[in-house]
Amino acid sequence: MSSSPLPNSPGSPGSPTPSGLSRAEAWRAPLESVLLPIGALLTALFIFGIFCAIAGANPFAVYASIYKAAFGGWSAWQNTLIRAAPLMLTALCTALPARLGLVIIGNEGALVMGGLGAMLVGLGLGTTLPPFAVQLAMGAAGMAAGGLWIMLAGALRHYRGVNETISSLLLNYIAIAFLNHLVEGPLRDSSFITKPSSAELNPANWLGTIPGTRIHFGLFYGLVVCVIAYILIQRTTFGFAARTTGGNIRAAKLAGLPVGKLTLAVCFLGGSAAGLAGMVEIAAVQKRINESLVSNYGYAGILVAFVSRHNPLATVLVAILLGGILASGGILQRSHNLPDATVLVFQGIVFLCVLYSDSLYGKLPWFRADAVSKATL
Amino acid sequence: MSESLGLLGIPLAILAGTLRGSAPFLFVSLGECITEKSGKINLGLEGTLLLGAMTAYGVSFLSQGAVGTFWAPWLGVVAAGLAGMVLGAIHGWLSQQPRVNDVATGIAMIIFGSGLAFFLGKPFIQPQAPQLFTFEWGAWSSSPQLQSALKVSPLFLIGVAIAPLLHWFFRATRWGLTVRAVGDSPQAALAMGISIFKVRMASIMAGSFLAGIGGACLSLYYPGVWTERISSGQGLMAVALVIFARWNPIQCLWASMLFGGAQALGPAFQSVGIDSYYYAFNAAPYILTLLIMVITCSPKQTLAGSPGALGKEN
Amino acid sequence: MSRMLENSLDPAPPRTSYQMAADASGVVSEPSKAPPQLEMVEMTKRFGAFTALDKVSLTLKPGTVHALLGENGAGKSTLVKCVMGFYQPTSGAVLIDGESRKIESPKDAHGCGLGMVYQHFTSVPAMTVAENLVLSRYENQQVINWKKEYAALEEFMARSPFKISLKAPVSQLAAGQKQKLEILKQLYLESKLLILDEPTSVLTPVEADEVLGLLRSEVVKGNLSILLITHKFREVQAFADEVTILRKGQLAGNGLVSDLSAEAMAAIMLGEVIKPSVVGSDSQLDYQLTETIDPDKTIDQTGHPLTLKKPVLAIKQIEAKGDNGVLAVRGVNLTVHAGEIVGIAGVSGNGQRELMEVLCGQREPLKGEVRVNDEVYTATREQMFRHQVYALPEEPLRNACMPNMSVAENMALRTFDRSPQALGGWWLNLKAMQRMAQGLVQAFSVKTPSVETPVSHLSGGNVQRTVLSRELSAETVSLLMAANPCFGLDFSAVDFIRGAITAARDRGVAVLLVSEDLDELLALSDRLLVMSEGKFVYESEMADVDLNLVGQRMAGH
Repeated sequence: MSSSPLPNSPGSPGSPTPSGLSRAEAWRAPLESVLLPIGALLTALFIFGIFCAIAGANPFAVYASIYKAAFGGWSAWQNTLIRAAPLMLTALCTALPARLGLVIIGNEGALVMGGLGAMLVGLGLGTTLPPFAVQLAMGAAGMAAGGLWIMLAGALRHYRGVNETISSLLLNYIAIAFLNHLVEGPLRDSSFITKPSSAELNPANWLGTIPGTRIHFGLFYGLVVCVIAYILIQRTTFGFAARTTGGNIRAAKLAGLPVGKLTLAVCFLGGSAAGLAGMVEIAAVQKRINESLVSNYGYAGILVAFVSRHNPLATVLVAILLGGILASGGILQRSHNLPDATVLVFQGIVFLCVLYSDSLYGKLPWFRADAVSKATL
Repeated sequence: MSESLGLLGIPLAILAGTLRGSAPFLFVSLGECITEKSGKINLGLEGTLLLGAMTAYGVSFLSQGAVGTFWAPWLGVVAAGLAGMVLGAIHGWLSQQPRVNDVATGIAMIIFGSGLAFFLGKPFIQPQAPQLFTFEWGAWSSSPQLQSALKVSPLFLIGVAIAPLLHWFFRATRWGLTVRAVGDSPQAALAMGISIFKVRMASIMAGSFLAGIGGACLSLYYPGVWTERISSGQGLMAVALVIFARWNPIQCLWASMLFGGAQALGPAFQSVGIDSYYYAFNAAPYILTLLIMVITCSPKQTLAGSPGALGKEN
Repeated sequence: MSRMLENSLDPAPPRTSYQMAADASGVVSEPSKAPPQLEMVEMTKRFGAFTALDKVSLTLKPGTVHALLGENGAGKSTLVKCVMGFYQPTSGAVLIDGESRKIESPKDAHGCGLGMVYQHFTSVPAMTVAENLVLSRYENQQVINWKKEYAALEEFMARSPFKISLKAPVSQLAAGQKQKLEILKQLYLESKLLILDEPTSVLTPVEADEVLGLLRSEVVKGNLSILLITHKFREVQAFADEVTILRKGQLAGNGLVSDLSAEAMAAIMLGEVIKPSVVGSDSQLDYQLTETIDPDKTIDQTGHPLTLKKPVLAIKQIEAKGDNGVLAVRGVNLTVHAGEIVGIAGVSGNGQRELMEVLCGQREPLKGEVRVNDEVYTATREQMFRHQVYALPEEPLRNACMPNMSVAENMALRTFDRSPQALGGWWLNLKAMQRMAQGLVQAFSVKTPSVETPVSHLSGGNVQRTVLSRELSAETVSLLMAANPCFGLDFSAVDFIRGAITAARDRGVAVLLVSEDLDELLALSDRLLVMSEGKFVYESEMADVDLNLVGQRMAGH
């Protein structure tokens, strides 16, 4: 729509004093952006309850089970946090490019490529270096592999105008096919017969657990990377340039910002976060690389990113929440006879509710004051 | 199996794969074509495809006692389309809310649709449902390979017929022109008093209906089973394929056949004993899609045939 | 009420011109019914607390052209949108031949014989002229028999005042052709009461006269009545019988055009205070203005030969494609010197936008070179800073702002990576950013609740001021490029922006001004060029500008 300015006579009365409105407005926006996602989550829980009731389960018992399995006690918390660690990282693969205006959903592929990169380095180095150095090299390799993978989607976007959503999703399938090809062929450890897999990572190089817990150090990786990502986006010139490009690419070009380089760099950073998740999964959980690396952390990461509105700090909280829901998958199956896809249905409902809540910004009665301020200007 | 034909088995297997494997691509791409002509993208057709496959299979299995094994799969086909429409209605409504992005909605619908399909489809993974009949066009030949290659599904033929029909629809019916007007210039449509919401809703639902039937092709014809991995991104490839086909239904037909053929590469080589690159060949359709997008797209100009409102907020 | 129901439930489709052409079989249509009388009575429209339209009445007599005058935001569009059924009036009535009609949609309006030609095009670019015409018909017949339609359409075209190729896709029509198609559509629909919303804004003066002249002759024949929304007094005086003038949503005056001078109409339109220097949109006033002021200006500004001035911007053989892949800029050369405003005139869609985008780094040129201060310029941030290049692109919200980012962040776009806003070149100093923004808000009187408000919450004029403050606040500006900087703004904003541009020129800034508003260019420029079909087809110092020739060149002759 072209702008249709409201009558704006010079010195029109009633223009609000800057300080008077700014305080109200300073509170309103953050409150709204916290309350709306929470409202969306509650709505999703409600709809999910109806769904469970139709499926023959008592919704309140299901809620109780989810809570118990996710946050009911230290053991449950540990399960949740173990799952939250990769989610924080894969979420950044969507969240960071989103600040640039790109919808990247290649999280799963970047995780797989990161896991592969890390594994190859881990197997290659073996015990030639101290474990700390090997882990560092594995992390670097995982980040590089995942980063380059998503950077490819960014490059196709920038240089060829290829829709990054579709290309990144296709890259998922290609990465998975590549993984299968390697573990069925060149990488296969024929002595391991359970399923086609690579050789096992040398135990010396495993990522340990925090003493006294089952939680591996991947959680720290996730937390640290999220904080760094937040600072990078909100407080540095690089982040400002990225947000500008995401806010309006034409304005970014007008200001001479290197849109292409920014696209590649941000996609690389996002991909490398997911790649690090792959490394964490390999070094702390799987120990061998095989198809079970593809465990939907990537897709769940997309959801985490959207629910947290692409804010890396919020990502930490949402990842813990969703980690809890993922952790409750088993109990739903055992105690309520609900298939494991129940968790996927719930994720879908949450995603849809959160998207709908986006349309409510500035519409709910409490938050409509800025419409008034707009009219008086 | 393939000794009698030797390497000739490869093109034959690809031909067979094209006839069998292109049907889902065709239905989904035609569905996406209708959707995108109205100016919205529906990435969620991947989820629609899965739900359609599950619904078709489940309904066919459950209704065989009541309507017999000939009609049960057809009931399944219709049910698949209707299930698709339900998902389409959700997408159509949600993606038209202010500030809601259709791409993001599509991603959510992939998760929701596939979750629903896996949830409801759990009991149908084991049993065998009645399949659709096929035309045995290879009956004249003595070669069993040829016979099996020329088993053609009526669904595929229906898809082939829909393509020109859709082309005519967009050119010579008022509804077709209306959909194009909404997709190309919503402002113009609004000035004509056309309800953009209703037209898009109808287009998205119609497109999802076709995509649901595309799912039925998977579970009731080829490969003719219900598993959670039955689609593996075909719905998404079909979306990319519409770009390649420049939003032209007839070209969707050719593009679908190309993709069906590409998908048959892995099994074709495996059938003649070349299986060391089985998984690499399985990546062929994805790589092909990517290559095609790289070739067709351009960063500097909008693509010819692209509906003007596509990818814009309104 | 019963009348309305009858109307909306009437199953018989309105008679189409296709049917008419089929019966008539002649070249000239059968003597059609005279247009009805249209009355708007005490129309009021409120949006929340804001009254856009306050008890406005207007009568369009059969067989007349009635002009509706007013500034931007005076309520003209609101009034006609209420009549056309896009808005429901808060109170008031629409009478057709004295009978009250409830119009709830454009379709209802069509049923009353009303048709509107909008300021923006309402044809579908991807469809052909024939498809657009057929689709515009209100009827329910689903299958289109193209053979019959083409025969009927060709007959219609033969007796219509304008000719357009039926099979051409609308996207390939020139702006003037598109505007003619909009009018043809209404004739095709047999609308008797035509509302034209600034129909000549995309036409050259010659085309405008042609189109309005042909329509006027239809009115004189008694086939049509026209309500003409405009802000060009020249058009009112040449083509309208009566005029109604709105001001701030209220009826400011009305009467016969023959009784009113342009000055009188301007006085009514602007209220008590007449400020001729800002009546940018009034052609005649402004032409006189330029003529009287220019001689002085030439002595002051361009008295000494241009060769002494430093060339700042040099464009050499630039070629660029448009979004549709067609060559839009076809090899242009231009030099802009320090301390001069070079204006580029032209009907929109002749490559100005693409040229501007190339200069602003928003579009890659196919060929050619841009030089600034005699160095190659590719619009990188480093070059922009080194050469102090700034720009005011058209549609600032689309081209120059991040709508969802705050006013402060938008104002920092040029400086966020420089000290003091960036520490060490990478850490943002949010305090410094805020301080600067508060200073700019004061200096450029941007009306905003706070500097943290998203810029999209501001009105159009204040968005433009935000951009202006960012682009003009640098200590040294050496090149400023502006495109349609005043489009759609109210007088006070226009005045402010034009003042800022001339002040920059007086400080020695080289200014390139691209505008669709010829009057604006005549008022501001030191040198004028005309762009047509991607090339410069006219160039002159302002003192020697031949307006007739400019008009012809704009029209592509």
